[in-house]
Amino acid sequence: MPKRVIATVRRMASRKRAIVVLFVGFAMGIVALSLFGTSMIYTGTEAFCATNCHEMADNNTLEYRDTIHDKNRTGVRAICSDCHVPHSPVPLYIAKMGALNDLWSHHVTHAVDTKDKFNAARPDMATRVWTYMKGNDSRECRFCHNEAKMDPTKQSPVAQARHAKAKKEKMTCIDCHYGIAHTVPEGPGPQEIEVDKSFIPRSAIF
Amino acid sequence: MSKFFNGIRSWGSRPGTIGVLILGLLLGVVFFGSVGSFMVYANSEKFCATSCHEMGELALEHKDTIHDTNRTGVRATCNDCHVPHGYIPNYLAKFSLWRDYWGHFVTHSIDTKEKFEAKRYELAKKVWVYMKENDSRECRHCHTTAKMDPDKQSAKAKARHERLRTENITCVDCHFGIAHTEPDGPGPQEIQAAVVAK
Repeated sequence: MPKRVIATVRRMASRKRAIVVLFVGFAMGIVALSLFGTSMIYTGTEAFCATNCHEMADNNTLEYRDTIHDKNRTGVRAICSDCHVPHSPVPLYIAKMGALNDLWSHHVTHAVDTKDKFNAARPDMATRVWTYMKGNDSRECRFCHNEAKMDPTKQSPVAQARHAKAKKEKMTCIDCHYGIAHTVPEGPGPQEIEVDKSFIPRSAIF
Repeated sequence: MSKFFNGIRSWGSRPGTIGVLILGLLLGVVFFGSVGSFMVYANSEKFCATSCHEMGELALEHKDTIHDTNRTGVRATCNDCHVPHGYIPNYLAKFSLWRDYWGHFVTHSIDTKEKFEAKRYELAKKVWVYMKENDSRECRHCHTTAKMDPDKQSAKAKARHERLRTENITCVDCHFGIAHTEPDGPGPQEIQAAVVAK
């Protein structure tokens, strides 16, 4: 089998035209990957996420405005994708596939297209995000907030004490830092949510 | 023109052509994927801060400054301040790194502490001029002026930031020597940059 493959490749390579076709394919590959990468970056921008559909623009984006992750002393921000989309390539691609669900809801089922529907679905949606973040140990938070590089002496005494306690109790960021960018729904918060830690949770991979 | 299309058609009809095209496509994707991954790797702290001893020294200076360790643990590593974030400027910056190799392997221009200190002012000045010319573009990639809340800044900072808006100066004019040792000699405000963008 390998001999036959090699023979075939050699026969094709001996044709001058094959080289041209190979280069055309090569160029197409580069263009395809660039477009793919650029669309990944574009669909992670604030311009795309925060304003493209009224579900996001009228609720989540407005709630986020003027919170600490939008506006602060230094002007260093976290936008939608920083907290809600994985940062490494493969989990990112999978998350983008999952976003097809958003298109489905927006165009077909109209799941959260009014304020009332949105607020009714809010506990479910928040719980989903909290579960996800608990499952992967607040991976997206930690992409920016490097725990090893936090200086406790620059934090308030309350924060210092709580962070020390949280570390001891194996809690994760979202257990306390929830409802910091969006309205908190009624119902149990992240600390009351049980996350199965007996195996590697799905959200730790994706 | 129709001859050209007939040519393409005759190529396409040959068995194996599609295979070669797909092979080329895969090679293109792998090649460009490697370029992209290398760009990401060459911007990582692991690569920049420890790959050569010349930079190792600079990395030590950066350690424990506000951009390394702070209240929230949100950091700026080497590339955040010193490598452009847009595609093309990034690629251009990477190409000009041949100089670093030249300096490291051939001229050994800053391979000892003494040589480094002797050149420190010149090196610092180069960075300051660069940042003045592009209106501290790399600072502003993270620090969005419009999203700074003056009410959370100290009274002094508030007043000075207010002043800078009218005086046409840029971030690095005041915020210099914040991550590396400041050399003797005139600072950024005394340097005339070729272009000071608004």
